[in-house]
Amino acid sequence: MNETGLRELSQKLIGTEIKAELLRLFHMNPGILDTVESIARRIGRMPKDVETEISTLVELGVLRKERFGKLDVLSLNTSKDKEVQKKLAALIEESAKG
Amino acid sequence: MRVSTGISALDAMLHGGLMRGDVTLVVGSAGTGKTTLALQYLVNGATKFNENGLYITFEQMPAQIYRDAASFGWDIRKLEAEGKLRVVCTSPPVLVQFVEERNPIDAIISEMSAKRIVIDSISNLESFIPASELRGELYRLVNHLKMKELTSIFTAESQEVFGDHLVVTGVGLSFLVDCIILLRIVEIQSSLKKALTVLKIRGSDHDKQLREFEITPQGIKIAAAFAQYEGVLTGAPRRSTTEAFTEAFKKGKKI
Repeated sequence: MNETGLRELSQKLIGTEIKAELLRLFHMNPGILDTVESIARRIGRMPKDVETEISTLVELGVLRKERFGKLDVLSLNTSKDKEVQKKLAALIEESAKG
Repeated sequence: MRVSTGISALDAMLHGGLMRGDVTLVVGSAGTGKTTLALQYLVNGATKFNENGLYITFEQMPAQIYRDAASFGWDIRKLEAEGKLRVVCTSPPVLVQFVEERNPIDAIISEMSAKRIVIDSISNLESFIPASELRGELYRLVNHLKMKELTSIFTAESQEVFGDHLVVTGVGLSFLVDCIILLRIVEIQSSLKKALTVLKIRGSDHDKQLREFEITPQGIKIAAAFAQYEGVLTGAPRRSTTEAFTEAFKKGKKI
């Protein structure tokens, strides 16, 4: 664990304004179970602007993507989200210790 | 078998509660208390009758529902943590997928052994599903919930705040559901009051009176019937002939 680890994880997690908005949306509303189009609408953005950011959060495991019929449905993976938050907190603590 | 809403006066109007496995439509214009009634049904189910419930919202975000429910003393987050209630925020295309083979909402229903479900509001489906397919999709949704033995409440927004006619949806939703509860704002002696009536229950008798209700800090409280007035549902009630006659009689006036 080091500065680079902290930078990389925080960059992946909240490196852009849209990612921060998405995380805030899901943390405040953990019951969201929705499509990219609707999620974009819920944060006042266009789907094309959130697709990449959502993919990064899916790669990190914070968001879960499941295929149902014709739709990709996204939801918060609460256990993985807690794990990532714990990891981030540990990195911050380690970094603060110098 | 009846399912208690936990609102005793409403249960009495329904002659014991909703019929298990039925779909009830709660219709009213904005601000009449549809969401409060629906949430109260689920909270009472979870806290008083050991029946877990699922609340599906489209436009209103869960954070707002948690906040609004807290003003009635209902701790939805706590009930969610206990696995008794879940608030799912989704969009109509996802809900309609749930009538196909696999669906995330079906999985939640099984996972939490839900007995009650609220869909708030069914009117949102009209914006996402072509008019030609809407009735068929609603019919499939109603039957899907019945197969799962859920006792359901759908809320629906009526456009008319006042007036003498009521259109719920253009697709005949009122024929697909088993029970209809109508909420309306009425003007009585220059003040706005809330009125509730049961329009129909399939296979059962029910109270046919129009009753006043209030949204109190504890939720919906139903009061007495508007016995002294006629034409309350039109929004322009008048004193009933008997009342007017009695009053005129007391005052010695001609009517």
